[in-house]
Amino acid sequence: MFRILLILIISFNITYSQDYYLYVAAESDDTVSLLKFDGNNLSETERIVVGSYPTENEGPHGLTVDPNGKYWYLTLAHGNPFGKLIKYSTETNELVDETTLGLFPASMQISTVTGFLYCVNFNLHGDMKPSSVSVVDPETMTEITRIKTGSMPHGSRITSDGLKQYSVAMMSGELFEIDALSLEVSRILDLEDHSKMDHSKMDHSKMNDSKMDHSEMKHSNVKPTWVIPHPNKNVIYIAGNGSDEIIEVDSDSWKVSKRIKTGKGPYNVEISPNGKYMIATLKSIGSTGIWDLDSGKLLSEVKNSTSVSHGIAISPDSKYAFISVEGIGGEPGIVDVIDIKSQTLIDNVEIGKQAGGIAFWKMEI
Amino acid sequence: MKSLQLILCMLTISYTYSQEKTIISDLEDLSLNIGEVFKPNSKVVNSDGSEAECDRLYYYNKKGVFSSAKSITFDRSEGTLMANEPGTHEVVAICIDSEGKRLSKTFYVNVNYPKIKEVKLSLNDENIYVGNYIPLVYEITDELDTKRVIDFWTTDVAAKYFSEVDMSLTSSNNKIEIDESNNILAIEEGSSSIIALFDGVKGQIDIKVKKNPVSRLVLKSSENNVRSGDVINYNTIAYDKKGNVIEGIKVEYSFTGKSSDKSNTASGLILNDGRFVGDVPGKYIISAKVGNISTSKVANVFPREVQREVNSVGTGLVGDKHTSDFWIFEGVDGGDYGVTGTWGADGTAYFWDVSDPSDLKKIDSVQVDARTVNDVKVSQDGKICVITREGASNRKNGMIIIDVSNPRDVKILSEYTKNLTGGVHNVFIDNNHVYALSNGERYYVVNIDDPSNPKEVGMFELGKEGQSIHDVWIEDGIAYSSNWRDGVYLVDVGNGIVGGSPSNPIAFGNYSYASGAHHATFPFKSKSTGKFYTVLGDEIFPNGVNPNGTNETAGFIHFVDFSDLNNPKEVARYELPGHGSHNYWIEDDILYVAMYTGGLRIVDISGDLIGDLYKQGREIGYLLTGSEDGYIPNDTMVWGAQLYKGHVFYSDFNTGLGAAKVSGGKPDNSKTNQHLDN
Repeated sequence: MFRILLILIISFNITYSQDYYLYVAAESDDTVSLLKFDGNNLSETERIVVGSYPTENEGPHGLTVDPNGKYWYLTLAHGNPFGKLIKYSTETNELVDETTLGLFPASMQISTVTGFLYCVNFNLHGDMKPSSVSVVDPETMTEITRIKTGSMPHGSRITSDGLKQYSVAMMSGELFEIDALSLEVSRILDLEDHSKMDHSKMDHSKMNDSKMDHSEMKHSNVKPTWVIPHPNKNVIYIAGNGSDEIIEVDSDSWKVSKRIKTGKGPYNVEISPNGKYMIATLKSIGSTGIWDLDSGKLLSEVKNSTSVSHGIAISPDSKYAFISVEGIGGEPGIVDVIDIKSQTLIDNVEIGKQAGGIAFWKMEI
Repeated sequence: MKSLQLILCMLTISYTYSQEKTIISDLEDLSLNIGEVFKPNSKVVNSDGSEAECDRLYYYNKKGVFSSAKSITFDRSEGTLMANEPGTHEVVAICIDSEGKRLSKTFYVNVNYPKIKEVKLSLNDENIYVGNYIPLVYEITDELDTKRVIDFWTTDVAAKYFSEVDMSLTSSNNKIEIDESNNILAIEEGSSSIIALFDGVKGQIDIKVKKNPVSRLVLKSSENNVRSGDVINYNTIAYDKKGNVIEGIKVEYSFTGKSSDKSNTASGLILNDGRFVGDVPGKYIISAKVGNISTSKVANVFPREVQREVNSVGTGLVGDKHTSDFWIFEGVDGGDYGVTGTWGADGTAYFWDVSDPSDLKKIDSVQVDARTVNDVKVSQDGKICVITREGASNRKNGMIIIDVSNPRDVKILSEYTKNLTGGVHNVFIDNNHVYALSNGERYYVVNIDDPSNPKEVGMFELGKEGQSIHDVWIEDGIAYSSNWRDGVYLVDVGNGIVGGSPSNPIAFGNYSYASGAHHATFPFKSKSTGKFYTVLGDEIFPNGVNPNGTNETAGFIHFVDFSDLNNPKEVARYELPGHGSHNYWIEDDILYVAMYTGGLRIVDISGDLIGDLYKQGREIGYLLTGSEDGYIPNDTMVWGAQLYKGHVFYSDFNTGLGAAKVSGGKPDNSKTNQHLDN
């Protein structure tokens, strides 16, 4: 009897296979790839053509999957001139509905409390003026309000309890906290390290103060590009793309608690669901950094398979990090899968050009 | 006892969870007036009527904030909504309980049309003769002082408005007859009044039906035997019973016709100014009418017979990637050269020797940090080429300026990205200035006197939220920008018509049309008539991207008579059934147009232009450009066309560069309708 049980257990272990599914956008090919990782091999199971102009590049940028896994959402950066939010079924990967948002809508997430989708309007190539976060009811795909934030908001994430949405404004160097329930900005934090500002190199004689609206303008040295709240601690991590650092913010005191120096150009940053690891893409050097949050130490910088490292999706079991890497020119985009514990690159797969937005969908046995 | 408690407990839980919940609200059957502010009161109730938990309530106007009209807006800090536009609007109420569960319900809120305050009736022509239909104009002012003017021909507006109001028309006597469709016919000489009632508000006009002074009409025509598409100018002379000419009397024109081809329908167009065009060969009877006096004249319309063979002369295959725009130019050495861009690829632009159109040779290339080189242009002197960048890895895009003095060994002179990081979709070079689109919103004017050191000197934008631009073309110091829903803008960038210059662009003309798909513009001064048109092209993919095959395309070429800058009039169209327009070229009254999936089309646009040019048999010929070696095999997708030294060059999205020739010979259609029974 014991032998039979043992054989059964061994057999189960041998046959047991955990599959991971995720979506990745290729910004310069107007495609989204559905990827499957079986623990050893990463493969593309489907490539979905997105957008509505075959001869115009519409730039799929942000991706998210709703908490129940039934739909995935995509932002298209370029329109005439406004971008779009598009809803797709995960069952069929076919378009369900769409709505128009602001200029260059980018990252987004759905709150588990309100069910609303909060999406930043990046306005990457626009004037240095405050942009916004669009709040959309994904059930009817209606933009129900726009909340004014900072200049060029790019990264955004919602707390695991669904109550707070954080976004960072790249050009005004600010962290915005939106109350997901009241749909209002509740707090703003200046992320600049003012102890390091050197005004001696600025030529103020050429500035025409009379024409400047100082209330609306600010040029950030930090250039924050991403923000992620810790899943179970009251801290927030921000990628300082311009200052080559990850900024830790204490969300209770609403103050910068730590500045962690990184390699050049940290772009996206995520925390593993178990709260142990921090992972950041280092865009300028084509690498991915992995930190142990308990010790605060950098465990490794894993070289990505090509240049311009972009987005991160971490599996819910905190085992794997999937990294989208843009590449240059005609190179294909690549998604790397990294074993977080061993900090080794396990596999990669080529997708469309300029791999960017990435979102985890599901684990399946 | 414990078991009983457990059962009771389970029953209670089961009952609680089986309860259906719904939102009840005073939004139900709500009716508001425009401008009215309302504070909704809603709650969640269980099916037994008991109130359920609702931590937070949200309201919004479905598809009504930014997606479409701001029909109902919300002040969430006050918890109020405001009615802005009349009609029935969907207001969604969402309740979220403490566990994050949401419940929603849609309510239909009616916003009343403002009541009509005043109705005024008027006539465009005071001379109403017996036998005339009376073209009444209604001016309706509501209590918010919004005026709606509905004339005889704006039936779409009229239908929309009249469906919302109770309207009736009566006349004071039987000198005027009003039919069930509210058409008003003058029956008998004398005075009468027309009374209009709109929701009980009365408007009245006194009409004097005059005796028709005309006893005879003579219809004169510029020609009687024409080809399809040729415009005949009709002129009607009215005589009184004494034989005197009556000046300035309004004449109504109409026509009937019979096609020469028994299986076809005669069709054409006649305008109020007496211009008539027959679309298909046949016999047409043109009638002129004043009141109860009319006359007719016959016009014979014969086949236009402009069809010619269009032959492919040479192809420069680009089969490993998509091709975008192109430009053919005379080099400084007198040779003939071309440049093509690439799309969604590796940032390559190819340079070609096209001196022998039957042997197009790739002679050099540049590769820049981009995925798409959408547009390429060469300066008038053949020395400088500008290529655009989209999808640069550093997201700075901009444009690249290239020395093409030796097209076999081109050299990049400079990269220019200032204000152009969002991507340059199209450019134009004119007199040492590059007009470069920026992020699809505006264009910058960049001086390239020193092409290694370009300098921004000016900028043009519409200056309104949502401004969008797709292309710009310069001719005679006028920039013609194609601004999607805002149409074409004519901007003085050195012509002097309104004192503009490259550093001070000044807009002086505009025309837009309903579809909002305005994508390209070509200015056209007709050699045969002297009329000036802006020829406006659409770009429409009605079903979006087809990942599995040929894309469906739509849209057409609009001909807008801009002879009067202050009063542009859309007069004609070239629409190829089943295929949509892209880029084009006009020379010597011939249109060379890339109709995407419809191939390269060559169209005779000589003479006066009114109506549907395709129906008029004006097409000279066509070429389908798909190739089995194409990037997508056998898939015609012509991007643009250019006439150069007698050859029609084109670029195709899937095959690269090509050259065609319009022969003098007519196409051999002898077997077109032959029944093949062998």
